[in-house]
Amino acid sequence: MTTTTEPVESRTKYTGARIRRTEDPRLLAGRGQYIDDVTVPKMLEAAVLRSTHAHARIRNIDVTRARALPGVFDVIVGTDLAELAEPQPVIWFPIPEQRIARVHALAVERVRWVGQAVAAVVATDRYVAEDALELIEVDYEPLPVVADLDAALAPGAPRLFADWPDNVSGALTYRNGDADKAFATADLVVSGTFDHGRTFGCPLEPRGCIVNWDSFEGTLDVWLGTQSPNLARDLFGEVFGIPVHKIRVRTPNLGGGFGNKFDFYPEEVIAAVLSRRTGRPVKLLESRAESFAATGHSRDQRMDFEMALRSDGTIVGLRGTAYGVLGGALGTVGSGPPWASVLTCMGPYKIPNLELNLKAVVTNRSPYGSYRGWGAPKGNLVHERLIEMAARELRMDRATIRRKNFPAPDEFPYFTGAIFTFDSGRYADCLDLAMSKVEELGWRDRQAQARAEGRCVGIGYSFHIEPSGYGPSRILNLAGLTHSGFDEATVRMDSTGRVTIYTGQINMGQGTHTVYSQLAADTLGIPMEDVLVVTGDTDSCPYTGYGTGGSRATALGGAAVLRAGERLRAKILRVAGQLLEASPDDLDIDDGTISVRGTTGPTVTTRDVGDAAYRRLRDRLPEEEMPTLEEVDVFDPVNMATSFGCAVLLAEVDPETGTVTLLDCLQAHDCGTVVNPMLVDGQLAGGLAQAMGGALLEELVYDGDGRLHTGSFRDYLLPTASDIPPFSFFHQETPAPDIPGGMKGVGEAGTIAGVSLVASAIDDALRDHGVTVTRFPVTPHRLLAQIREAAENGAAR
Amino acid sequence: MLVEHGADATVLAGGQSLMPMLSFRQARPSFLIDINRVEALDFVRDEGESLLLGATTRQRDVETNPVAAAAIPLLPELLGHVGHVTNRNRGTVGGSLAHADPAAELPTLVTALDGELMVEGPRGPRTIAAEDFFLAPHRTSMGFDEVLTAVRLPRLPAGTAVAVEQIARRHGDLAVVGVIAAIRLGPDGAIDLVRLAASGVGPVPVRLHAVETALTGVAPTTEAIDAVAEAVSAAVQPPDDIHAPASYRRDMACLLVKRAVGEALRRSEVSE
Repeated sequence: MTTTTEPVESRTKYTGARIRRTEDPRLLAGRGQYIDDVTVPKMLEAAVLRSTHAHARIRNIDVTRARALPGVFDVIVGTDLAELAEPQPVIWFPIPEQRIARVHALAVERVRWVGQAVAAVVATDRYVAEDALELIEVDYEPLPVVADLDAALAPGAPRLFADWPDNVSGALTYRNGDADKAFATADLVVSGTFDHGRTFGCPLEPRGCIVNWDSFEGTLDVWLGTQSPNLARDLFGEVFGIPVHKIRVRTPNLGGGFGNKFDFYPEEVIAAVLSRRTGRPVKLLESRAESFAATGHSRDQRMDFEMALRSDGTIVGLRGTAYGVLGGALGTVGSGPPWASVLTCMGPYKIPNLELNLKAVVTNRSPYGSYRGWGAPKGNLVHERLIEMAARELRMDRATIRRKNFPAPDEFPYFTGAIFTFDSGRYADCLDLAMSKVEELGWRDRQAQARAEGRCVGIGYSFHIEPSGYGPSRILNLAGLTHSGFDEATVRMDSTGRVTIYTGQINMGQGTHTVYSQLAADTLGIPMEDVLVVTGDTDSCPYTGYGTGGSRATALGGAAVLRAGERLRAKILRVAGQLLEASPDDLDIDDGTISVRGTTGPTVTTRDVGDAAYRRLRDRLPEEEMPTLEEVDVFDPVNMATSFGCAVLLAEVDPETGTVTLLDCLQAHDCGTVVNPMLVDGQLAGGLAQAMGGALLEELVYDGDGRLHTGSFRDYLLPTASDIPPFSFFHQETPAPDIPGGMKGVGEAGTIAGVSLVASAIDDALRDHGVTVTRFPVTPHRLLAQIREAAENGAAR
Repeated sequence: MLVEHGADATVLAGGQSLMPMLSFRQARPSFLIDINRVEALDFVRDEGESLLLGATTRQRDVETNPVAAAAIPLLPELLGHVGHVTNRNRGTVGGSLAHADPAAELPTLVTALDGELMVEGPRGPRTIAAEDFFLAPHRTSMGFDEVLTAVRLPRLPAGTAVAVEQIARRHGDLAVVGVIAAIRLGPDGAIDLVRLAASGVGPVPVRLHAVETALTGVAPTTEAIDAVAEAVSAAVQPPDDIHAPASYRRDMACLLVKRAVGEALRRSEVSE
């Protein structure tokens, strides 16, 4: 279908207001229904045995003793599963002719990472199932391990896949202009290698599912903690060869998703096979300990880049290679996030000459998956770290050099040189907004005072872009996605004049229900309390391309709600026109009451209109109108909607211990129309907190043998309220030109900006020491080593 | 019950370490002996020369108890480093000591103060000196059939100032390295009493006797303290783990000894 982008008439009562999430009372009262709260009749519980080896051949698996344990219904291994299921699906193929490493949900013959599922038990309950796991004997023949990127690329490295020439899954290059010439003629070249450690979204509710395979009907009835129920349904269909109309996926409350629950995991397939074999519904939950190996890992990347500039600070070129450190198989999104890091590494800056390489490399680590930010945080490291290094070399102010390289507002839509075209932007205004707040809040005085006391306090900056609203279906298909990017919504008014919105989006903490209620209430002219939003059931809710990811729920889902709402409003007015014997053009709806504009005459309510459209039609519903009040809209955008922001951080470093304390943080942000500032602020704060975790605390640590040393929250350090600074947020609104309503996505902003932000503040705090932070997380001992190294180098000079 | 079931039984106090270990299947006792409602073990008692804390006394109760703070002024500040308030509401004094984590605060405190652990078993009660109590990570010299009933913390002589310095990855985490220092200056201005213990730098909390000896009788100048603190390196054998390599812990032990001694000296000047 074609997409129309006519502006929506402004009738905002709720849009732009700070409105609390509609689900808050239930969740705060502890009455949410998460996957572990769901039970179905006759349900059994399963548990998964995971590989203790990073790379090994499976000689034999003896399940005899496990099967004999009382309470155990079934035990399966990879060969059992492979009789029923295809290998795990991959949906992103951004690299042409890429070697795609797909494996079954249970390892067959070989394991390629610690934590890979090798067998599964289903029993009366989880306790028995876990007891049975201990009775399974796996005979492994260890193979040489490829523990990290360097090991994977070393000449003569052991190969993960025997039929590959090396461990490189694929590579590609984007070129624009003439990078070689730009570098040859540049006044200054700055370069850096930036390593981001392995982290993951770590939703506090781990993953889980309940699958009921009804062999008589041939149906699959699934409860799944997922951000993408429609995608899961399609992929269940692919894996098992079941037509999708026989698959139902329902999603209860989600205790966080962060991209991790976008992907389609082996456990869903394992539970389905166990259900098929036992004839009983099977619940399979991931324990917290398992989550560190079994939920998709992310961020693990090396960015080896250089930037060419003129002496006046104008950037003329950017080139380099992004190495995606993938795991022992490709996850659902393949090498999508490292690919996106390459597409965003020029950031908000006009860089005419680009040579951007991507190399996706497999290692004996857990598969790479989706995590909020999806590549962009590493792209941000490239442009923000390099521009600050250039500012230092050129002795330019960090704001000045940034401002100098922004495209002007009238240069939009602005083609970056690699795939993305940014739709609209007022970057300099946003930077100025941030800088003015730094002055207003007195940070420079705080910094000066602290420095006078001999303390190392710095101010860090990060300007980020967030391509959101993934995305135009055909362009995504062209880029290698085997899935669409549109969004569909149904807006229905019932016989009592109340409204229900059905959408394929998922509410996972970001407040989607609230936002859709606001948008629909404003569009229809009804009280927000009259709107109910239904999500999380593929039988009753529409299809959405993709899922709830790529910061698309408000931009695309919201646009579909607005457009369906507009058409429904028109129909409501036509029916009301009949009831009031007036022209629909002369009518207004306010607070659910329809009146002739500018008069105090008779009125009708949406309840009267509902009654006329559903029950007592005679003389009340116009002859030419179809009964009922329902509109469906499918919104497929013509372009992404690119948000942007400028974050600033005040931080202190103890140069004797290498510890970093975050003192204060602000972000000036532009995501087009702000539907709910409270929720936008929440998204920004949550994203920044996660990035600060990735910058300073969180890391999934592998040793040289590919063993994962991170197995609990004592090892994986999430930032707590004590570790993050206070936040202040400031908004400007540059509407998205291609999105009805003008909204842009905001879900990933903080995660994109936050890591380079912390680095910038550390560098500034240590400006007398001459430190440039390049490896994340910046742990105390790493930073202390860098400070000492800088001191030695300084002394040597 | 401990006698009857031996190693198959475990004592449950506040559960702040044991419960996670049970859910991770790291501890697998068949029997849990819940002592949470043994009221006789829940007390804070000023015995003049020392402070006696019952084993099931909640850490938070000690932290907020004026009698405890009067006897051992460091207690409220030190306990503030133990997890978060919710942990301390449940966590007990005895539980932390019997769990014997070499990075934990209370084991380090009893080590620094020459505390005594009172245990009871089928052979009757006995008292174990702190430095004989901790054997290895999560191992103590208590028999499998003995329980910890109380800990005795001797009062420091009047005029002694104390300080605690810690490096933790996050607020509330077990210390990467921690140091407790107690210092008193004699009439001549030289250090005449010093107690130093470090956490996170070995299999058990480490009492830094050699450093204490070197500091005793020394005039408290920065140079003198710095010179002595370098000796900390030789006194500790820190572990490598994912939070910090041994070399970092060793360096930080030196640094934190300097800082803790310096802070204690500042406090002793203030109190004069």
